[in-house]
Amino acid sequence: MNLSEVVAALGCQVLAGNSSLTQNVENVCACDLMSDVLVVEKDNLLLVTSLTTEQVVRTADIVGAHGILISNGKKPLEKTVQLAHQLNLPLLSTKLNTFEVCVELGKLLKK
Amino acid sequence: MTNFTLDSSPSVVLELTLRLKIRDVMTTELILAEKKDSLRHIQQLMKHNRITGVPIVEGKRLVGMVSVDDIIQALDGGYIDDPCDHHMSRQLIVLEDDMPLSLGISFFEKYHFGRFPVLNKDNELVGIVTSRDILTSLLMEMNKEMEHLEEKLAPQKEVPPECWSREFTLHKFDFEHAGSASGTIKKEIKDKGLDPKNLRRIAVASYEMEMNLIVHSLGGTLKVEHTPERTILEATDVGPGIEDVDKAMTEGWSTANDWIRSLGFGAGMGLPNIKRVSDEFFIQSQVGKGTLVRSIIYHPPEKEVTHEHS
Repeated sequence: MNLSEVVAALGCQVLAGNSSLTQNVENVCACDLMSDVLVVEKDNLLLVTSLTTEQVVRTADIVGAHGILISNGKKPLEKTVQLAHQLNLPLLSTKLNTFEVCVELGKLLKK
Repeated sequence: MTNFTLDSSPSVVLELTLRLKIRDVMTTELILAEKKDSLRHIQQLMKHNRITGVPIVEGKRLVGMVSVDDIIQALDGGYIDDPCDHHMSRQLIVLEDDMPLSLGISFFEKYHFGRFPVLNKDNELVGIVTSRDILTSLLMEMNKEMEHLEEKLAPQKEVPPECWSREFTLHKFDFEHAGSASGTIKKEIKDKGLDPKNLRRIAVASYEMEMNLIVHSLGGTLKVEHTPERTILEATDVGPGIEDVDKAMTEGWSTANDWIRSLGFGAGMGLPNIKRVSDEFFIQSQVGKGTLVRSIIYHPPEKEVTHEHS
């Protein structure tokens, strides 16, 4: 699946990285502990988290994730959005909670 | 005036504004007045000393400020001969003498006052800071810094384009810039064209090192030396040192506090994760002295890409 499909299926708001939504996603990491994300070694990764700090974008960039999806309808800090813009890293936000996001993404991945 | 933030300044300037404290730039020869003094008296003080604000004190305690604006209003309102007590500003924004200069600069941007009184730990008035004070001391420090940098640059040999090295200075609890050093490292090395898996290993190791320096150390440096054959990352700090290195190398063991955890870090995965992504890993620590962590990642010729984990 690509990020545009995720946006459509989960009703996401696109906060940054509009031009990179065609990127492919094959793996999902749902995690609020950035230390744990740094151990993930999967390609074509989408990071799902309810954390909204700049470090979320930094961490996603470091592990080469293709996008970030912020759950629970949380609004990321302005600096977080700015950094995502700078790195052209898709930053999405949805009202669904993390579990619901995972269920929906699971369905999409099975298609 | 355009909005100014320090965020995009070169690291040398950022470091300067963090290293310099308010006490280093403030004026300590203060022109003061008391509550019973008339506004006219204060106007004279301003005129003779060519200043635009006078702190009002009781002993060493700051109780108010009178600015040129207050004087103009007093002249306009016909109460220039009143004691300043009822006309001074009492809602004051103050700086503390041990705050970093960067905070002082942000205050000028945020509050649009011409000057800020400075208090010490015991809440006594010890100085006053104007934007002119900041400008002067920054220029002086920058001169020193530039001389220092020029000395450093002079003897350097020319670096071949496929190699890259740099040293980053990192400060305790400077979360605002956390990740920018490793972000730069990743970007620079990516431009050299490297296998994405190895690029990720370098990025992860440098990010973990950077976070460790910010979260746990009293400050230090992160050094990177990249050649087509290998990348060496080295984190050196000035303390406090690790009591039990074996424990620190255990996954899940952490000394981080709740605040750090709330930012998504401090899970006790840092050092083990650096070791995991490294081909060679070295750690040495002495309590009271500091810690050295070194990671080497080799870049085998493209055909035989294998990842050994030590």
